[in-house]
Amino acid sequence: METWWLALTFRLGYNTSLVTLGTMLLGAGAGMIGSFILLRKRSLVSDAISHATLPGLALAFIVVGLIQGDGRWLPALLVGAAGSAAFGLWAVQRISERTRLGEDAAIGAVLSTFFAFGVVLITVIQAMPVSGQAGLTGYLVGATAGMVAAEAQLIALCALGVLLAVLVWRRSFLMVCFDAEFARTQGLHTGRVDLAMLALLMVVVVIGLKVTGLILIVALTIIPPVTARFWTDRPLHMVILAALLGILAGYLGVTLSSVTEGLPTGPLIVLSAFGLFFVSFLFSPRRGVLASLLAHQRFRRRVHLRQGLLAVARDEPIFDNLTLRILQRRGYLRRDGVPTAPGRAAARDAEHEERLWALYRECQPEDALQQEHSGLTPIASVLSPDAIMTLEAQLPPNGKQEARR
Amino acid sequence: MMGDSEAIVQSPLAIRGLTVSYAHRPVVHSVDFVTPPGSMTAIVGPNGAGKSTLLKAVLGITRRLTGEVRVFGQPVEAMSRHVAYVPQRSSVDWDFPATVIDVVTMGLFRDLRWWQPTRHRHRQRALESLSRVGMEAFADRQIGQLSGGQQQRVFLARALIQQAALTILDEPFAGVDAATEKAIVEVLKQLKREGRTLLCVHHDLATVRDYFDHVLLLNVRRIADGPVEEAFTAANLQATYGGRLSPMQLVRLMEPVAQGESRGE
Repeated sequence: METWWLALTFRLGYNTSLVTLGTMLLGAGAGMIGSFILLRKRSLVSDAISHATLPGLALAFIVVGLIQGDGRWLPALLVGAAGSAAFGLWAVQRISERTRLGEDAAIGAVLSTFFAFGVVLITVIQAMPVSGQAGLTGYLVGATAGMVAAEAQLIALCALGVLLAVLVWRRSFLMVCFDAEFARTQGLHTGRVDLAMLALLMVVVVIGLKVTGLILIVALTIIPPVTARFWTDRPLHMVILAALLGILAGYLGVTLSSVTEGLPTGPLIVLSAFGLFFVSFLFSPRRGVLASLLAHQRFRRRVHLRQGLLAVARDEPIFDNLTLRILQRRGYLRRDGVPTAPGRAAARDAEHEERLWALYRECQPEDALQQEHSGLTPIASVLSPDAIMTLEAQLPPNGKQEARR
Repeated sequence: MMGDSEAIVQSPLAIRGLTVSYAHRPVVHSVDFVTPPGSMTAIVGPNGAGKSTLLKAVLGITRRLTGEVRVFGQPVEAMSRHVAYVPQRSSVDWDFPATVIDVVTMGLFRDLRWWQPTRHRHRQRALESLSRVGMEAFADRQIGQLSGGQQQRVFLARALIQQAALTILDEPFAGVDAATEKAIVEVLKQLKREGRTLLCVHHDLATVRDYFDHVLLLNVRRIADGPVEEAFTAANLQATYGGRLSPMQLVRLMEPVAQGESRGE
């Protein structure tokens, strides 16, 4: 516990602090570019990229190992990983463009093939007369314990570059994600914008290899954006929020892993991210489980209220206890069940609303079906004023009299 | 090559020899068309006649096989600023995390450098175009909560904010409520009064005479084009629809009196 507190306050030595900062930047970059990839509906592509890094990583290790006896030189490994990831990405693109296979099938095929090749190469490396083979498995699940300052700095710099690039291209990314055809009419080269997004995603995946490992980096590009979606309905807010959540997940994960020797960093970061997701899933005020339950309750009461008011308007008796209670609490009914003046007014309004809704459903069945809580929300909050005027004009005259009564 | 004749330099959209094909099957074949400046032109034809494809090829969304597209005599690629596009509303995912004003503001993005934030005056402009389509009260509404007609109005507002000389619309009246249809027609007629040009894929033959002054009849090939009174004839329609229109329908369409009001909505 004490060690964790030291780690949280950056007092566990220069190296650990640097690693923590680097991971937080990585989390921010992954969250940001991951948001755009999610909105572009291509989240699985990051899975393909990450698995496709393994053969390049292993080949780079072999080459460096043959040259200097020890294969662990991060820059070369990252370049190798990026190379094979790019090749994998190109293969996915080619397969989905040139064949009848969809992108998901192409991703599945490429992902498994590249990963299999990488695993074979790692087995070969184990038998080679070079040192540092053990370090290679660290790239599967991540290992920040043995990271040196230079490596952490490299990761932090790359992550910073990703942040800057996203800042510069945010509007292009957004336009392509929402409406690629429209983006094209705005003079944007959508193919290039997509390529830029994938390239940034690749950078994040490759620099994340050392931190979370290639199997888990996907989580960092998907979970924070999905979590952010719980809290906002605006696109760029979602990107910023995903970045902050990524930072938080990285911070919690790395510091937790420094508590005891040998705790895996990658899984802890992912579990932290999931923890944040779970909290949002429960407590988000818009889409969370609790909010939905409350909304359901409110909806139920609204149905009772509307039914009660309609009954009042039509001079029908009310038997349902909940309906009676709701009407009485609002002052629409006296204790003996006789409607009050405000109750009569509210009943007239409800009846009028009901008639407008009925007419709307008759004229525009498709639109009306699409409306959530159709018929129960005030129609003025759903239709524009001119549309309501049109409806009012179409109301049959005898109905108007009835409503006025 | 297209000659630099007067008509082509003046036209906000001149098409010459445009062919688009999907897998060796031409969907639009060798279409020539010069849009008269300041006109409101309907593109009319049966399903699968290549109406939307023609628009998409013009806008560079779909690749052209051959042909030239010029805006005021210049290649369209260099003139995209002068062309606004209102796509079919089914072309995007309405569950996207965005509000109405976010979508309309996207029409301004091309003029914003990356270091410039979206300011109050941009929001103001977006609200202005929203009020032109009667949607200013919905500015901060989540787009997923809009009805079909409202979605269409938002797309129109996004095009209005660009203040383009030419606005291209793909079936703007498809599946919208009567009030929206009226509102959109009003906006389009107002644009026309401002001297702007409108090109619109239109599927409802009964309203062509009411809404438009020019027409392009299309069925893979160009069948006819010109002012509505001259080109929108029974013979041309029969040629376009391959004789699938009944004589009764044709007679009704040829009546110059407005039919729009009497249609049961």
